[in-house]
Amino acid sequence: MKAKISVSTRATVWGVTAAMGLLLALAAASPAHAVPVFARKYHTSCQTCHTVFPKLNPFGEAFRLLGYRMPGETEEQVKEAPVSLGAEAYKRVWPKAVYPGDLPGVVPLAINVKMADIYASSHDESGNQITHNDFQFPQEANIFSAGTLGEHFSFFGEFTFAETPDGGSETEIEHAQLHVNSPFGPPHLINFKIGKFSPDLEDRFQEMWLMTNNGVDTLFDYNPIGVNGGTGLEEDVGISLPALVKGIEMYGIAHHRLFYTVGVTNGLGPGPNDTADGNSSKDIYARVDYKFGGMGLDGDTTGVDLPPENWRENSFRLGLLGYDGDGSGIDFPVEGEDGLALNIQDRRYQRYGVFGSWIWKDLNVFGVALHGTDTLRVNDASGIEISESKPSYDTWFVQADYVIRPPFQVSLRYEDLKPGDQSAPDVRFLNANFTYLMRANIKTMLEYRRDLEESQNYEIAAVLRFAY
Amino acid sequence: MKTALLLSLVLLVAVAGPLAAGEIHGHVTAKGLRTSADAVVYVDQIAGKSFPAPAAHALMDQKDLQFQPHVLPVLVGTTVDFLNSDAVLHNVFSPDKCADRFNLGSWPQGHKKSYTFKKPCIAALLCNVHPEMEGFILALPTPYFAVTDASGAYDIKGVPDGAYTVKVWHPKLKSVSQQVTVSGSTEASFELTK
Repeated sequence: MKAKISVSTRATVWGVTAAMGLLLALAAASPAHAVPVFARKYHTSCQTCHTVFPKLNPFGEAFRLLGYRMPGETEEQVKEAPVSLGAEAYKRVWPKAVYPGDLPGVVPLAINVKMADIYASSHDESGNQITHNDFQFPQEANIFSAGTLGEHFSFFGEFTFAETPDGGSETEIEHAQLHVNSPFGPPHLINFKIGKFSPDLEDRFQEMWLMTNNGVDTLFDYNPIGVNGGTGLEEDVGISLPALVKGIEMYGIAHHRLFYTVGVTNGLGPGPNDTADGNSSKDIYARVDYKFGGMGLDGDTTGVDLPPENWRENSFRLGLLGYDGDGSGIDFPVEGEDGLALNIQDRRYQRYGVFGSWIWKDLNVFGVALHGTDTLRVNDASGIEISESKPSYDTWFVQADYVIRPPFQVSLRYEDLKPGDQSAPDVRFLNANFTYLMRANIKTMLEYRRDLEESQNYEIAAVLRFAY
Repeated sequence: MKTALLLSLVLLVAVAGPLAAGEIHGHVTAKGLRTSADAVVYVDQIAGKSFPAPAAHALMDQKDLQFQPHVLPVLVGTTVDFLNSDAVLHNVFSPDKCADRFNLGSWPQGHKKSYTFKKPCIAALLCNVHPEMEGFILALPTPYFAVTDASGAYDIKGVPDGAYTVKVWHPKLKSVSQQVTVSGSTEASFELTK
């Protein structure tokens, strides 16, 4: 007979069940990125751009890539007229006067609130089951701001308050980005983004664009740091793929269907001298996609017969992506096997992968396969090199989202990670989600996540999200 | 007999005058815009015909930080008075060459300054104190013009019967033109796009 775990011994039990604790930590505060600001600007429903927020439908993807503008946007579509900062004719007066622009006509703010009941189950070393049922009311609240500033500028901001277990909150500027849209050249071909943002390297699979509560942890939270390579997941240690970057990105759409992005970003940080970048080197990334069928990435529908249901189309999008980083000089303290204090530097880390997304009527199957290599140098406490190795890891996921009916949508995801340390077990997750969209801006989700390696560990989250 | 003849002559003149002058009316659709207001529909240059400049001045007001009216068509040669009805300083200048890129300076409430549009011109009006202010004056070759209302409706009265080139100009959309034969009350509608 298994002994019941009393509340008073919960802290001790958590120390034993590290894997479960990690799952819980990873289940906390996932980004929320539907923006009711646009509903107000255009007097339109969230469903115009989202299948179930924050996941974007093809039109919503075009809206985002066009700098938060509708394809072929007309003045008539913008129900809240912008505030002019200069008449059109001032374009002819420049540089004798400031070039004209405009501001959003309504204060471009929106709020998102997320509440969750997390039920987690795991087993300690003795095989005793430990359960935990936690009301996280709220789990987080976000303030969004987004819109356009005249013809060639747009912006997106997100400020997050995440509730901590003791009732306090952690705050973060999750996004603060300014876009320069088509400053020159053909429309949509050349755009820039500067600030803190989710890089378009991860378009469609970073958690801000997923319908699920949990993100793809095997892709974003793999910790590559280890004497023999990474062994598993750990947030904010090393870089597998960065969910958020501080950098500058150039991106665009050519011939309606070819998408590209290149970016330069801080990489690992913070640094020892109060710097956000841990060293003076920058990481770079790039991605190129092509979309076959369906609506063009810029919203073009020439020659395409689309059904009236705006989440449906027949399309396939294929992309190649890569990330190259330099972590030289940035030490990660570790303890060697004999208790020796060591430092590991990830002197060069490279990630290459392929992205695919198939939309067929109500079904969207998508995924990424990624191969990563790390050049790990192990130094002793005085900085003398002990060893250098180049472990590599492989990770992939596939997710299927299905619209049963617009208010009822489901998702199933499999994640797989073979860590760099060959002796470490694989990391595999199954994530199943059922979403009920009560209103366009109110949803409930039931999400089940199971660790397929530690198969007795699972978590069920009941989530309520609303935005306004 | 003489009285009857005289009376008949008077009647003939009285009736013949109105019968020779028609009107052009219709609708302008400004596609993609919130309203179809502010389109100027006008009869273009008539070969061999010129019109004397009116003695009366036209008025462009600056009120509530706006040019009022937003669009003002006038006959070439018209002098326009620019009035400041606001309690703040305003300025009027035009970046357009056909209006000599005039800059009238600034003046206080209740005062006005004038400019004569001596040649055909589509002039944007700007205020360098309030950059968001914008107006337009069209100095046109004939006195036959009208500005559409919010629904796009317009009515140009007193146009003699005949064949004309009718043009439509809008601050935000491409101009169009159309041949119109006026015979009494004549309908002509237009669609403008970007």
